[in-house]
Amino acid sequence: MVAAQVLQGTSPVRDLVVVELAQSPAGEQTGKFVADLGADVVKIEPPGGVASRHVGPWAHGQRDPDHSLEFWAYNSSKTSRALDAASPDDRSQFGALLATADILIVEDRRWLRELGTDLDELLEQRPDLIVVAVTPFGLTGPWQDYRTSDLVALAAGGILNSCGYDDHSIPPIRPGGNQGFQLGASFSWCALLLALIERRRTGLGQLVDMSVHESNAVSGELANPYWFYPKALVQRQTCRHAQPEPTQPALFECGDGNYVYFALILAEQKAWSSLLGWMSELEMAADLTDASFQDIAYRQQEFSHVQEVIEVFFLVQDADTVYHEGQRRGLPIGRLNAFEDLPLDVHLQEREFFVDLPTPDGETVTYPGLPYRFSSFETVPGRPPRLGEGHHG
Amino acid sequence: MSDPSDPVIGVASDSSRSPRPRTGPLAGVRVADFCWMGVGAVATRLLADFGADVIKIENRKRLDMPRRLPIYKGETRSYGAEDPDPDPNKGGLFNNYSRNKLGITVDMSDPRGRELVLDLIEHCGIVTENFAPGVMERWNLTYPELREIRDDMIFARMSGYGHSGPQAHYRSYGPVVQAVSGLSFNSGLPGREPSGWGLSYMDNQAAYYNSAGLLLAIYQRMLTGQGTEVDVSAIEAGIGLLGSDLLDTVVNDRPSRRPDYPRGNRLEHPTAAPHGVYPAAGTDQWIAIAVFSEADWKALQTVMGDPAWASDARFATADQRIVHQDELDAAMSGWTRDQDKHRLMGALQDAGIAAGAVQNSQDLAEHDPQIAARGTFFELDHPVIGPALFEGFPGQLGASKPDHWRSAPLLGEDNQFVFGEILGRDAETLAELSAEGVI
Repeated sequence: MVAAQVLQGTSPVRDLVVVELAQSPAGEQTGKFVADLGADVVKIEPPGGVASRHVGPWAHGQRDPDHSLEFWAYNSSKTSRALDAASPDDRSQFGALLATADILIVEDRRWLRELGTDLDELLEQRPDLIVVAVTPFGLTGPWQDYRTSDLVALAAGGILNSCGYDDHSIPPIRPGGNQGFQLGASFSWCALLLALIERRRTGLGQLVDMSVHESNAVSGELANPYWFYPKALVQRQTCRHAQPEPTQPALFECGDGNYVYFALILAEQKAWSSLLGWMSELEMAADLTDASFQDIAYRQQEFSHVQEVIEVFFLVQDADTVYHEGQRRGLPIGRLNAFEDLPLDVHLQEREFFVDLPTPDGETVTYPGLPYRFSSFETVPGRPPRLGEGHHG
Repeated sequence: MSDPSDPVIGVASDSSRSPRPRTGPLAGVRVADFCWMGVGAVATRLLADFGADVIKIENRKRLDMPRRLPIYKGETRSYGAEDPDPDPNKGGLFNNYSRNKLGITVDMSDPRGRELVLDLIEHCGIVTENFAPGVMERWNLTYPELREIRDDMIFARMSGYGHSGPQAHYRSYGPVVQAVSGLSFNSGLPGREPSGWGLSYMDNQAAYYNSAGLLLAIYQRMLTGQGTEVDVSAIEAGIGLLGSDLLDTVVNDRPSRRPDYPRGNRLEHPTAAPHGVYPAAGTDQWIAIAVFSEADWKALQTVMGDPAWASDARFATADQRIVHQDELDAAMSGWTRDQDKHRLMGALQDAGIAAGAVQNSQDLAEHDPQIAARGTFFELDHPVIGPALFEGFPGQLGASKPDHWRSAPLLGEDNQFVFGEILGRDAETLAELSAEGVI
């Protein structure tokens, strides 16, 4: 089965038919959101497969359209229909399929036109249809024809300006994993749901014109408020919040070569006492036990010394110990997990977060589960389809 | 400075701030909103934007962090540099997060306060929260208990680790979530410490997922009359965002702790070169350029004026350009270094090349013609702060329009409306509750 499996209850999107014309993570993840909850998402592909099927990494090194992990990441639970836009027969098949659809997800209206459907005419003919257009900059405006990539989306949208190292001779560094596209997908998913609610109320569909660029531009967290209010620009810092002025490091290397994140707020008395108690037990508090350090202003004045003592304290322990012992003492410390650490995490195991996803070859692989859990129904993702694979193979 | 003990300070005569029937797809939807900090407030903001009456429940004795953070007009301080005596109505971050919401204050530890909240929950039928695990349990407001108030209750919860499992009680906020989920490890130059994130990315993404979860729950209740609990763990949401790099490790047993990972601004899949962030004219100004195809490379050579270095055999094919990326990036930097990032972005995009100036917030607000044309940022007035810009919904819906009716509520601004007009308490009762610090 390629479709998502319903384990319990009834999914509210179960009866929806979604046609997807997407080949970047922005549109594909939007389709995956609704597919993983049990909707019938039909992915339209050119005869050779969408672009994402031709991007590595590859499952077990098999370089073919059915083994792209880039494709698997964003296309679980969908079916695939390969259609040749040059074939009149295929174009009419597409028209027939679209006539049954509740929702169309489309990244590029030119592809839609090649398949014989004009977007404006479609909206006129099908007032009940929800069209979610997920494009790099939006369907209107002076940049509507500009191209994007994940790096470009993060750069133009302002996120990249906050990310990188203290050393500003190094350019801003892109956070990994296609997060620029993912921001577009998250908002497109919300917009799709708003449109479903609207249609339930009025019977009418609509065109939803989503912009990856704007999705990034509204997601910079503190950066925009710092400009909107004090007219301050934030400056990037190594692995911690970009700020108008430099703040103390929060990334600590541990004895095993791994890292933890810990931002000590010197003004917080409780955190200070907790940390000091922990250091004292291991006889590593050095002079921080001196009465003068009980004074917040003195700590702040001596922060670089405090920082050095903490650096040594973490460097003689391994990151796992620092993480769990720190948390046991109520300190918000996080270990910088690498990917291989995640399936071994006992907390995630107990919550059964990772699922066994079937693959096109009949084996199963470890795959992340859904980002939300509903008490009224439960689904697990179905496998990504082979090129041209429908519900019945 | 306004007096937080007076719930209607300064606004009694401002009828433009009086609650009115809302428009939008969520008009008529009501939310009893316990959310605070960033992740919770952003999640329910989307509902408020599109017409829901989101009633933010606050406690005067424990002000919401964004009310206390000194992000003020005319004063620059870094996050964490707290104002010891903050004006709760002056904080820009709170304004940003809680526009279009109604605001009430109530002390849940007083039985009369609790009774008001239970009434409100019954009236709303949707409860949202992002407290540390255990708070709602101590208040006896778990999902089974909420369903006794209303069988069709929707209850949306947000936390770092989720509400089950051995680490459910661990303390977290954006950067800790990013660390534990792998998103920080995933970012940086090979061979040095991770650069991670310069923002609480997961506060936003977990919030967006929670907005989606709430919308799905509302849709389900419209279809079937059935309520649901929605639980979002930010760490699990973060792992779901790792993409094919995670699968490369768990499917192919390829460790992510390896010398060539993470990759900085370079791509392994698909092959792309040049692919990087290059210096531009000015201090700490940069431009991102992504060349994927041979046609892109040819177009780039033309924009550069066909310099001799670019036709060197080392750069003739994509594979060659990957092998010689260090020299390629150095040559690219030499070309971009003295050019204006905005003009260069335009020239490259006009030639069909994916390129983006690294824009800061001033660029977005004052320079970006796309943001301006699309009206992404909008302005609302606020009685203490004055006019301010807000980050709007990043797309345009043909029928479902946002309804931006008011900036963020002053502390307790809507006590009279919510407790009086909606819940029917008389003026005398409210005056007494106010005098005794219950509301």
